[in-house]
Amino acid sequence: MKELNPLLHSQLRLAVISILMNVEEADFVYLKEKTESTAGNLSVQLDKLSNAGYISVGKGMSGKRPRTICSITPDGRKAFEEYVEALKTYLNI
Amino acid sequence: MEERKLTERESLEVITSMIARTKQRYIGDGRILLMWGYLTVVLSALIWVLIGFTHNPVWNWLWFLLWIIGGTLTPIMDKKMQREKGVKNYSDTVTSRIWSTVGFSAIAATAICLVFLLVGGKDAWSMMFAIALIVVPFAEIASGIVVKENSLIIGGAIGLGAGLFTLACIAGHVVLYTSWFMPMFIIAFIAMMIVPGHILNHKARKEA
Repeated sequence: MKELNPLLHSQLRLAVISILMNVEEADFVYLKEKTESTAGNLSVQLDKLSNAGYISVGKGMSGKRPRTICSITPDGRKAFEEYVEALKTYLNI
Repeated sequence: MEERKLTERESLEVITSMIARTKQRYIGDGRILLMWGYLTVVLSALIWVLIGFTHNPVWNWLWFLLWIIGGTLTPIMDKKMQREKGVKNYSDTVTSRIWSTVGFSAIAATAICLVFLLVGGKDAWSMMFAIALIVVPFAEIASGIVVKENSLIIGGAIGLGAGLFTLACIAGHVVLYTSWFMPMFIIAFIAMMIVPGHILNHKARKEA
């Protein structure tokens, strides 16, 4: 059996990647709301995904407030697809 | 949601749950549509009245206000709406590109008309009406198909009907007199932009 990618095999990181697989881009507030996570935790997990090259994180301004926009990279898309394939073997789907 | 290891089954649940949360249909609201609709209707009515009273075609230059005001407000409003929504999906990108194409074709048409005007072809301006009533409805119908919104498809179809009629008039050398053409143009824009814009706003309020 294929090993599940440890970077994706965690609740919040998997949730973020799953969302980003379905949209072109999403901002930090949207991700926080959809994943029902805390800002601190989400921020740490986004950094991990970004450092792995799975997501790209852009910083902009929304009026006077900073705005973080995330989107999935081709590497992230590939990693997610491989993760789902591996998951299928574990679940016998 | 916490940061913790999952079982394989929980992984599957996280994936399906997140897909479900992002799958809701984003029609968007009708603010930009309403801005263009009211701007076009007010400006058309103003030009119609001014030409009617003065019989001076110089008032037709006021049409440029449409591009100046609409062209300035659209990117500002679009950016604001994107910020409020927090997410951009594939249908947003498709509709945005469709409307950008409309914008570029309008700029190209204006440039061609200006060149014709310089060489004495005054009637070239009627092409702008055909552009407004054919390219815009096509874009609206395409957007309506992408976001599955019937009010956009029906509004676009009404506009397109008016556009095809205008094109037939131009091809058949029927003069587009302001007395009948301007009311038709205004009604077409009410059907194309103002009515769907209010319907979209109503739906957006209900979904919020």
